Amino acid sequence: MGFLDLFRRESAPRSKRRERALFDDEFQRKLEMLALVSRRVFAGRLRAERRSKKKGSGIEFADHRDYVGGDDFRSVDWNVYQRFGKLLVRLYEEEEDLSIYLIVDCSSSMAFGDKKKFDQARRLCAALAYVGLANLDRVTIVGVNDALISRMPTTRGKGRIFKVFEFLSQLEPGGTTDLGAALTTFVAQHKRRGLAVLFSDLYDPAGFEAGINVLRFNKFEPYVVELVDPAEARPSLKGDVRIYDCETGEERELTITDGMLDKMQRAVSDYRAGIERFCAQKQVPYFPADVDTAFDELVLRVFRRGGFLR
Amino acid sequence: MVFAGLPLAQLLMIAGGAASVTVLLYILKLRRRAVPVPFARIWDAVFRDQKATELFSKLRRLLSLLFQLALLALLIFALGDPKPKQTLLEGRHLVVLVDSSASMKAVDIKPSRIEAAKAEVKKLVRGLGSADRALIVQMGALPSPLSTMSSDVTELDPAIDLLSASDTRADLERALSFAVDSLRGLPKAEIVVVSDGVLGDVTSIASHIELGKAALRFMPIGRSGTNVAISEFSVRRYPLDKSRSEVMLEVANTNDRAAQVELTLLGDGAIIDVSRFALGPNERLPRYYQDLAGASRTLEAKIRFADGHADDLPADDHAYALMPERHRARVLVISKGNTYLEAALLLDEYLDVTTVAPGKPIPSEHFDVAILDGVADALPDTVAAALYLNPPEGGVPLKLGAHLTDFGFDTWDKKSPILRFLALGDVQVEGGRALTPSTGDRVLGASDQGPILVTGARSGHPFVALGFDPRSSDWVLRVAWPLFVLNTINAFVEEDTSYVSSFRTGEVWRIPAPSSVDSATVIDPHGGQHVVPVKEGRAVYLGEEAGFYKLSAGSGSDAVSSEFAANLSDLAESRITPQSELSIGQKKAAPVSIGVPVSKHELWVYLLVAVLGLSLIEWVTYHRRVTV
Repeated sequence: MGFLDLFRRESAPRSKRRERALFDDEFQRKLEMLALVSRRVFAGRLRAERRSKKKGSGIEFADHRDYVGGDDFRSVDWNVYQRFGKLLVRLYEEEEDLSIYLIVDCSSSMAFGDKKKFDQARRLCAALAYVGLANLDRVTIVGVNDALISRMPTTRGKGRIFKVFEFLSQLEPGGTTDLGAALTTFVAQHKRRGLAVLFSDLYDPAGFEAGINVLRFNKFEPYVVELVDPAEARPSLKGDVRIYDCETGEERELTITDGMLDKMQRAVSDYRAGIERFCAQKQVPYFPADVDTAFDELVLRVFRRGGFLR
Repeated sequence: MVFAGLPLAQLLMIAGGAASVTVLLYILKLRRRAVPVPFARIWDAVFRDQKATELFSKLRRLLSLLFQLALLALLIFALGDPKPKQTLLEGRHLVVLVDSSASMKAVDIKPSRIEAAKAEVKKLVRGLGSADRALIVQMGALPSPLSTMSSDVTELDPAIDLLSASDTRADLERALSFAVDSLRGLPKAEIVVVSDGVLGDVTSIASHIELGKAALRFMPIGRSGTNVAISEFSVRRYPLDKSRSEVMLEVANTNDRAAQVELTLLGDGAIIDVSRFALGPNERLPRYYQDLAGASRTLEAKIRFADGHADDLPADDHAYALMPERHRARVLVISKGNTYLEAALLLDEYLDVTTVAPGKPIPSEHFDVAILDGVADALPDTVAAALYLNPPEGGVPLKLGAHLTDFGFDTWDKKSPILRFLALGDVQVEGGRALTPSTGDRVLGASDQGPILVTGARSGHPFVALGFDPRSSDWVLRVAWPLFVLNTINAFVEEDTSYVSSFRTGEVWRIPAPSSVDSATVIDPHGGQHVVPVKEGRAVYLGEEAGFYKLSAGSGSDAVSSEFAANLSDLAESRITPQSELSIGQKKAAPVSIGVPVSKHELWVYLLVAVLGLSLIEWVTYHRRVTV
């Protein structure tokens, strides 16, 4: 056993602990809360709108859930009440249920800065997946960099959330970003159109527009969640440095001064403003997700912005 | 411009090495840190601006290198200690002669004149210009340089601290000669005499010393001087009665007014005489103590004012003397009977005389002297020396010459301890034999017909041979006869009649020591031990302190130990009234001007440290991205 093996043996469990901590009990409790809150937020609005759209379609029993105030008495399963004394509501699978595609950028830049962006993306992805599963939507998760590297088959029902956790935990960042190519593959494999939520920092050398346009042009409803790490806008660098792109390895030799850091901050702001402007022009919902903000707060903001659940 | 520090060639070598290191560090400094960024494209906008300032950046880096090289050049330059040529040449060269004679022990200024002189010399050194150099010399019986010719205060100060006064006279002539030799060829030469001016007769110095271009300066030390002194002190045993002794001493009043003094005489540490008397202004008063009792070995004399208080110079208030040691000499007489010889031997009660008839066995014990009267028996090694009177043919250690009749001492060695003070010119001898001395023998007395008294040594045993029977002359009727016999015995047992009861400090002493040794150890009054050479039976030593000394020589059974005393005994040193001026011939010494004390620390050392510190800070802050 070599000297470095000591570190290798040590590093593997630490990585696992980190992944377990990503979706720990606390996280799961917050998901339950989010599910309740989302129901209140959208009750009588989005849900009613969706039902009217699916009126006359076949109904197939899918699941039970606890009765909460406001539920239609007609959907209470009285047989269960008679047997167990608990009020449960019968849920039915609608024929035109919503398909939600959660696309997680797994390129190297997402792991930059201690994987903060990647972890935040996975938490948000898990949260939205849980809400979707709880509402019996069809949830599919894919990981992309310059290709489609991983895919969780379409699933529904909140009991499958652990499968989601497992899938997200197994995702590893790496490789370069080419959202255009990766999402072209994605749309080719998924004929059923639906909501496509893209979790990415949008650091795409080919341009962030390419990936979003692929979704737009193929009738998906894209929803952009940009992962933002404020530290990247003003790195703690000074003096003569040779910077290199963590994905492509492109190099620049610079002498960094305070003035240059100000320019860098402006350049990052301009880049993000370009994304926002593009999304606004194309009517693509855009949502910036700061890595330093708690994920549950971000999820609530997403709900409040609307358009995610219908 | 000249370099007072490292030479130019060495500086260039150091500069080459240091410049190489600097450039290497500069190249290392140009290596950029590799830093990953999430998306290099965003930096492009920044990079475009950077290109616009790239030329300035390169220029700034080049300036940085040039700055460092310039800094280095300055450091190397400082290392060379550059000085303007005229400054270097215009520096003075001083030889500071500090009087360390006995008079500098005077306490008329506290704590003493020598300490005051040291303080003044320190002021002088601190006031030297940056290019001035000084050499500190202690001016005692011999001039002793205590430092090199230096401008470094850290070297000169310890040298000044080493100055101390001794019980000797200062030899100004020899010190000036040394100073002139030291300053030969040096520009702006100055001789600074730091003294109380009590330097004896300096009028004749000018005829021996040529000061040349060297300027003479005088720094007077001392304020006043009230002194009485013991200027001579001697003791001797009477030649014909060595159990008795007499003391001669001289006391002097060196002041211009009369003084009542008290003189105390101590024998073997105990007071044996106290007398009070008056001394007139500048009076010298000899005093004799005849047939002094109460002292067997040491004698000391002390003087002070009768009212009890001490004078300003304690060094000459105490004198020391040792009486010659007495021990019983064993004398072997081989004679058929000689009344005159026996009578002479009876005069000294310290003689143990053993008489043996010729041809009889000689006792085996040790004898200091054997007197062979008309015989020449073979002597064993236990007999140390021999006196042959009228030796027969063949037995004497030297050949007999022609027969002599009606002769006397036409010449004799008056300086010989054997014949000193003897009147031999009218001694009439009826008959005898001339003696033929061998190589190394010495003729002590001779008639016009040949040598008749010869001394020499055979196999380490000294002898004296007389070529006639004293009874055949009128010598035996004269006082010179017993004196001759006793002087000869005394010479053999080294009880020299020229015994010196005390030596004079500041002179080279020749102390009696065994002739068989090459060196001896002198223990001074303070317990210090000095190994000194022994030449011709005398240990040679330059003594500078008054008091009792011990001399030891040889080892084991041959070890010999003796004592002797030393005194200042210099009336000139006792006249301690300080002089305010000094003149060497027509040349009058100028007063010394002491410059304002300035810091002698070299500024370039601090500059060097500061520059190094700044350079280090610049290097560190650059790499810590503080200054860029």
